Amino acid sequence: MKNFFRKVAYGIGPNEDVPSDPLNWALDQLNDIPDLSWKGKIYSEKELRKHYRDWVYNDREVLRKKYKDNKTLYKLNKDKLRHETGQKFWESLEISIRHNEGINSQHPVLAKLWMFWGNFFAISEKDFLANYSTGPYHREIIRPNLNQSFEKMVYDVTTSWAMIHHLDNSESAGPKSVTASEEWRRRKKEPASINENHGRELLELHTVSPKAGYTQEDVIQLAYIMTGWQHRWSKKNLETGNVWFNSEYHQRGKKTVLGKEYKKGKKALAVVIKDLVNHPNCRDFVAERLCRYLITDEPTKEMKQPIIDAFKKSDGFIPEIHKAAIKVAFEYNDKYKKFQTPENWLIQIAKLGNLQWPPSPDEMASYELGTQPSKKQRSPEKLLRNIGHHPYRAKQPNGWSDHSDDWISPELLIRRLVYAKASYNFSKMENNKNASYYESIVEKNFDNPSKIMKYLNQKNRAVEKHTLLFNHPEFLKA
Amino acid sequence: MKISRRDFLKTTALTSLYFAGFGGISNANTGTKKNLVIIMLRGGMDGLCAIPVKGDKNFEKLRSKINLDRTLKLTSDFDLHPALKTFKSLWDQNLSAAVHATNIPYTGRSHFDGQNLMESGGKIPYQEKTGWLGRGMKTAGLTGQGLALALPMPLLIRGVPMNNNYFPVGRSLPYPSTLELIKKAYKEYDEKLLNENLEIILTRDFNNRSSDDAWILASSAGTELSKPNGPKVAVFEVDGFDTHAAQGATDGAHADCLSDYDNIVRSLKSSMSEEAFNNTLVLTLTEFGRTIKQNSSNGTEHGYGSAILMAGGLVKKAQVHTDWPGLKRKELFEGRDLNSTIDSRAIYASAMSTVFDVDFKKITKEVFWGENLPNLSDKLFKA
Repeated sequence: MKNFFRKVAYGIGPNEDVPSDPLNWALDQLNDIPDLSWKGKIYSEKELRKHYRDWVYNDREVLRKKYKDNKTLYKLNKDKLRHETGQKFWESLEISIRHNEGINSQHPVLAKLWMFWGNFFAISEKDFLANYSTGPYHREIIRPNLNQSFEKMVYDVTTSWAMIHHLDNSESAGPKSVTASEEWRRRKKEPASINENHGRELLELHTVSPKAGYTQEDVIQLAYIMTGWQHRWSKKNLETGNVWFNSEYHQRGKKTVLGKEYKKGKKALAVVIKDLVNHPNCRDFVAERLCRYLITDEPTKEMKQPIIDAFKKSDGFIPEIHKAAIKVAFEYNDKYKKFQTPENWLIQIAKLGNLQWPPSPDEMASYELGTQPSKKQRSPEKLLRNIGHHPYRAKQPNGWSDHSDDWISPELLIRRLVYAKASYNFSKMENNKNASYYESIVEKNFDNPSKIMKYLNQKNRAVEKHTLLFNHPEFLKA
Repeated sequence: MKISRRDFLKTTALTSLYFAGFGGISNANTGTKKNLVIIMLRGGMDGLCAIPVKGDKNFEKLRSKINLDRTLKLTSDFDLHPALKTFKSLWDQNLSAAVHATNIPYTGRSHFDGQNLMESGGKIPYQEKTGWLGRGMKTAGLTGQGLALALPMPLLIRGVPMNNNYFPVGRSLPYPSTLELIKKAYKEYDEKLLNENLEIILTRDFNNRSSDDAWILASSAGTELSKPNGPKVAVFEVDGFDTHAAQGATDGAHADCLSDYDNIVRSLKSSMSEEAFNNTLVLTLTEFGRTIKQNSSNGTEHGYGSAILMAGGLVKKAQVHTDWPGLKRKELFEGRDLNSTIDSRAIYASAMSTVFDVDFKKITKEVFWGENLPNLSDKLFKA
């Protein structure tokens, strides 16, 4: 039963008591969205986007021109600009805030679900989004919506700067729009055309999924509805301006998506999102993804049904969807054990092992803009890349896989082996002297402590006990 | 369904390999082992920088700041970038060739979409969840015979189970006695997949503390590809071809990237046995070429048509195979890019058909959804 604390969160830390009522312990964390528990400074999305702007503007408009004949000087000055805009630092700070929420907050269950939605509405590795924008997108767009409706979540995600940039909607112009007949388009041979990316992903990944049976024409029609939602472009800010609805890019006339007609204009997006989130396939898809994340690669109909029902009954109120999912996870806890993805695994090691992870707020606060971050300050970004699971750097818009097989390959297994071993280097002094360190971890987190202890005691050195514990099949799954 | 002897042997190999990982299966009955290596050139490789056309005044004018002042000679129509030294020495031995003015059928000029499509082989970005190479291997029954020199398994090779990957972690593994205990625990808990992967780790010859420089990885890959029971497919990635600025000429930023490619080929050649290299095909893959005209930063923008560099003993002869579209303004794609007159998927389908010994039609049907692609096997490769 104790695997439940890792299934829906990150396990029980050494200074925590094992909750006597696990289900209610979990459910109680889902109603409100508390402030992040990170004690250091947290930067706003806009502030960080300003750095993004300084980076692209100065690279594109200044350095490329100034050093067009000298690749060495160009590279040198580009590196300087990277540090001036904190390009090598922000994502490590964001990962620290994220991991701290799983390890040190009072709401680790909410944290695990926050990470779920961040991957559900993934911003994958594109341009410099991971460096400046994906972390704040998770904090400012995904997180505040964890006690709102799914409909609001989808709308906020769809109109967020990060997603608009990620899926190119700024480049989408209606062939029957005001801009289509502009003189410069004829001159430059750039006819107005749509970019379907965002429309397609809104259907496929963010709402109804391909099971809804939409056609390519539905994708095109939805892309038409979305024309005009773009960055406010300016010479000074380039693509980093705020999102607005530019009616000059909007496709004229009515559109039809999944058999329903929509009027032209700004409001149509909210209307079509409302219909999409109320489509039966959307509920099924959300339930499927939640079950796959928490419980098993192959969710059953019985598993999904209570989540689908809660979605329907509450009109997509996310805390109710969460509660239903957690209840199902509790109910199936002993029957199904889910192989944990590398990031989940890493956070659990840090929590159970009481490691010095993530770097402390003081450590991160000592960073000075314009300088190269220290090895320690960059360690979160490096470590997550090295384990092959950086949450802001998925390769595709569908995010990281939650199928177990995708996380088992020779190199990925090597990562588990060597980083379980390396985790010993993050131990706190007090634990090294604590004779009952392993007993306490095992007692709190495993149902069969004597068996696990017997396994660990086959080796004497702590570094090997770390390696064994964090690669034990019962730890790899939850 | 009629099963040929070759198909029968493949089915046999498939079953055993699934459990054995890399070990144990002899290729003795299936003839010589042939290898296919794909090097992904990310960022958009400039085919006209790698293989510039000769004597085109218009081209020279449009690239006045980034023209090569020194080239290696290929044919009467095309030169070679001087960074491609290994390629040239192979060319002189009839072991390298190129296809010019080719690309995947994608004209959108986005890296993000383009790289997805060059790997999936599809036409709509993100629609396919497997890669053309993975599907080709599946069609050929090559389970457990792919090696990606990358940490996350590239989309390109997804679609067939049990691929191996090598991307050195830079740290040493736990002690063997500790690994033995972990193995025992996997067995006790019936964790088959973990156990199989651990077995591969324990028995393979890779150095986990090595560097992850591509040319060093290539040397390990070359050794593996030479083994009769080693992988038959390897995949590399080279970044950095997106030279919007200071692309330069002979030793600019694009030259550095071409060198990276050339070093992989050199390293493969020197680490492979002669027999293995003679039975290998090394092809490049990129998302698009670059604009004909230099930009104001002496770089180039995203374009369309590019070139495919081919090396290895299965190359038919030293040649630049092309249906040259010309570089006059009206001959350019959208008035700015080298056009693509050969769907590059035809080349990859032909390569898979040749190396995997699978009927070309079967490849186009099962890998490229029955698209009508021409079979270029006889023109480009040795049967």
